[in-house]
Amino acid sequence: MSFKDALDSVRFVVTAEVGPPKGTDIKEMIHHMELLKGRVDAVNVTDNQSAVMRICSLSVCKIALEHGLEPILQMTCRDRNRIALQSDLLGANVLGIKNLLCMTGDHVSAGDHKGAKPVYDVESVQLLRIVDGLNNGKDMAGNELKGATDFFQGAVVTPEANPVEPQLIKFEKKVRAGARFFQTQAIYDIEKFRGFMEYARKFSVKILAGIVVLKGAGMANFINNNVPGIRVPQGLIDELKAAGKEKALDTGLNIAARHIRQLKEDGISDGVHIMAIGMEDKVPVIMQRAGLL
Amino acid sequence: MIITKKKDFQELMENIKNYKSFFLIGCSECAALCGTGGEPEVKAMKEALEAEGKIVTGGIVAKTGCQVLGTKTELKKYKEEMDKAECILVMSCGAGTQAAVEIFEDKPVYPTNDSLFLGNMTRFQMFDERCSLCGECILDKTGGICPITACPKGLLNGPCGGCKDGHCEVSPDIKCAWVRIYERMKRLDKLQELCEMTLEAKDWSASQKPRSLVAREEKKR
Ligand code: SF4
Ligand code: SF4
Repeated sequence: MSFKDALDSVRFVVTAEVGPPKGTDIKEMIHHMELLKGRVDAVNVTDNQSAVMRICSLSVCKIALEHGLEPILQMTCRDRNRIALQSDLLGANVLGIKNLLCMTGDHVSAGDHKGAKPVYDVESVQLLRIVDGLNNGKDMAGNELKGATDFFQGAVVTPEANPVEPQLIKFEKKVRAGARFFQTQAIYDIEKFRGFMEYARKFSVKILAGIVVLKGAGMANFINNNVPGIRVPQGLIDELKAAGKEKALDTGLNIAARHIRQLKEDGISDGVHIMAIGMEDKVPVIMQRAGLL
Repeated sequence: MIITKKKDFQELMENIKNYKSFFLIGCSECAALCGTGGEPEVKAMKEALEAEGKIVTGGIVAKTGCQVLGTKTELKKYKEEMDKAECILVMSCGAGTQAAVEIFEDKPVYPTNDSLFLGNMTRFQMFDERCSLCGECILDKTGGICPITACPKGLLNGPCGGCKDGHCEVSPDIKCAWVRIYERMKRLDKLQELCEMTLEAKDWSASQKPRSLVAREEKKR
């Protein structure tokens, strides 16, 4: 079943993430793909994540396809103008890449080429409109395409943004611009997320809750102090602390599994997006503990 | 106004090391307000150059250094001093420097300043960039706050996911442009308008360089 069909069905959908390496040695990445194959509905392939230069998302999506995984091409607006974006999108489509995640992209100042010229010729809402146009046989300038694309396009939303109102206004713009599914920034407070979902359910879009494994109390505190749009509740930090150094990661995996189980059993979201960030081998473990395998 | 910053003096000395004598041109407008090309700065530059063993044949503070014809007229009475100088040093912005380049066809013209941005003066000699001269103003749609300039990504339809507690992902010293726009639209009771509007991608051909404009009506023959 394709990712799109899975989202349209009653099944609880699981997506994971593959981060392209910096360099041409793709052995480890392929190993991660093998681990995820047959277990998740699709894998996001990140696009020069954190503005750190790596293999492009497009070619890794193609490799994912060859390894029997359904890719979700992450497309940011940081590095490409409207010509390059559309051209890459046409190229992706003919290579059989059908799922898209349209994003703004972290600023170059976060990455490893700080002197680069940030592009942002268009932004995520406009990119979604562009994709909608390509799906309808027209480029952004209104020119007829010889063959339309058939993308299933999504976007991101940060339910824990502070302040959240401007973020929700943008979320609604993305819905109107044609986003069919959303993957959220990592969430840790299920009760608060329930509130967001009550609001989001007004729109006919599918929502996958973002899951990031906490490796320990230190990571949780770091996130709270430094990462925008994510909030780890004190209760979880205490739980990780109580587990002690040795058991911290295991506890983090349990927390992730517990959250996934709750999201599924209470029908809160349509699925989850697990961002393992260097711990791809733990994704099957989490899924198992969540009762998904 | 155009915001300028003095070049590092050692860097300037390196740039002009092949010349001995100079004529200085400041500007009484933006450069004077920035403290880079008014009377006191031209005087200080003269002294600094002389301390380095250079000769300053003369100098003026042009009324508006970027105005080519006006500056040319003002300079007329300094012919002798200018003739004696091997090099013209311009203490205004890049536009002022290039006005001098047009005036002095046969002499090298060097800038003493770096030109930074179009700025608002918020306090004495404190400047903020608020407009990027995009060529097609959208302030009417964004509550009078320019996201093209105030947001490091120039986003037109709302904040990115990097906004943290109302501040920008690029620097905690900057307030997120889209939080500011949201707050202002809220105060003006225009949130509905903000929610419903999706701005089209900008037409960057409106800022294709080099731009020129004829604002006057050509006289009929
Ligand atoms: S939209 Fe911004 S950059 Fe463009 S003219 Fe208006 S203030 Fe200047
Ligand atoms: S945090 Fe706000 S100002 Fe900074 S890049 Fe994102 S949208 Fe722009």
